[in-house]
Amino acid sequence: MTEWLDDFVVRSTVAGLLMISIAAPMGCLMIWQRMAFLSDTLGHAAVLGVGLGLWLQIHPMIGVLAIVVLIVVSLSRVVSFNNSLSETTLAIISHSGLAAGLILLGTMPSQTVSLESILFGDLLATTKIDLAMILGTVVILVFLLLQHWRSFVAVSVSQEIAQAEGIEVRKLQFLMYLMIALLITVMMKVMGVLLIAAVLVIPTSSARLISRSPEQMVLGSALFGVMSLGGGMLSSFQFDWQTGPAIVLSATALLFVTLLVRRLARSAL
Amino acid sequence: MSADLLVKGKDIGFIGKSGPILDSVSFELYRGQITTIIGPNGAGKSTLTNIVTGLLQAHSGVLERANNLCIGYLPQKVYVNTLMPLSVKRLLQLTQTVSDEEVHQALSQTEVGYLYDRQVQTLSEGELKRVLLARTTLGKPDLIVLDEPTAGVDISGEIKMYDLIGEFHNQLQCGVLLVSHNLHLVMSKTDQVLCLNRHLCCSGLPESVSQHPEYLALFGDQAAESLAVYTHHHDHIHDVAGHHHD
Repeated sequence: MTEWLDDFVVRSTVAGLLMISIAAPMGCLMIWQRMAFLSDTLGHAAVLGVGLGLWLQIHPMIGVLAIVVLIVVSLSRVVSFNNSLSETTLAIISHSGLAAGLILLGTMPSQTVSLESILFGDLLATTKIDLAMILGTVVILVFLLLQHWRSFVAVSVSQEIAQAEGIEVRKLQFLMYLMIALLITVMMKVMGVLLIAAVLVIPTSSARLISRSPEQMVLGSALFGVMSLGGGMLSSFQFDWQTGPAIVLSATALLFVTLLVRRLARSAL
Repeated sequence: MSADLLVKGKDIGFIGKSGPILDSVSFELYRGQITTIIGPNGAGKSTLTNIVTGLLQAHSGVLERANNLCIGYLPQKVYVNTLMPLSVKRLLQLTQTVSDEEVHQALSQTEVGYLYDRQVQTLSEGELKRVLLARTTLGKPDLIVLDEPTAGVDISGEIKMYDLIGEFHNQLQCGVLLVSHNLHLVMSKTDQVLCLNRHLCCSGLPESVSQHPEYLALFGDQAAESLAVYTHHHDHIHDVAGHHHD
């Protein structure tokens, strides 16, 4: 029944589409709540998770999940109202995590894991098990997003007003952190540490330029994401580029095209 | 709690980063009443409103809220999220299911009906305040909390704004908690004044507060002025249900 998944192109395309479709709403929420930098931090610290996972001889993904959850739980304890995450704190966690992870990985026999695949992921090497994990995560996240969408948007607009109106802002934010942690754990394998943040932020920024409602921005992000995925995969096959970086550059190219089109449209008026 | 009692605070204390901000403050907010908090900068006015709205938890004392208390809140500093595309209409329908008609009505009451279709991030600070003031009246609130709603508004705008707040309170039959540093402008509208300077200096009807020695010590200059300006037509009576008869 799942023979069609035997083709690695199909597997990686499906994985990419799933990632992009969940990265759209998550990326929008992270941008709205000024948490874009958090994805970078968690991505970098995840290297330590990979190192720990391999060192303890458990699955690297479990190591990553443990580390990112640990970080978001401790961060959520120190953030209070109108006191967004300090960039300094995030930078310290980010770089220390990356450094510790690199040292740990360096102590291992070199064939255990390639640094390149940690940094850039390997979409084309997506296995059926990866695909199942991605699908599971997407289902969980979509369910939570649908259930709390209104509150998430309200909290993004103003935490103070949302709280006064009876929304439990802190609980919601903690949930958001856990969702980000889960997303980054599964994105890690296919997208890699350095590309996660790009995939969450660049299509979203393009969509911001042309949308007039929060939902339009989510749809736009998904659309730009899918186009970047397509462009990235095609150029990767055509020119033998690495898939991850090719996807990111396609997204950036689309951002510039959108900026240009918007400018032309404005001057035409 | 009696039916019209919305919020009751008893011996509320709050300790900030640099020491105590509120010490043993007791108060009661009723449906149909406008309560004004006055006090100098750093007196803990915003802290107290934040405790009422649930943004902050008191460190000591007891705060009781009526069941399912619905609060409309206008914060002192309104911050616009420029990263999210959002229309004014949608902002008003964000957490509550209200019809477009109601949104129109609320906006025209605060004289910003023309902003209905505009994107929130293109509004000026004054426009946004009026939009958010309109927002507080939607969804049948029991209590409207306004933290210095007139900051950055000129005097004539300020008087208009207080008139509006008086109108809302009559229409909605709700309680109003207002933070102001300008007692003489709000006096004629206020049923109860809480004069705050980390502790509750004095409270009660505006007439009695304006003659209280602690109030005079805090607002000596302004108080003299306010007595001159003060024209208090506070001749309505409250019936049992708290309704006004002017």
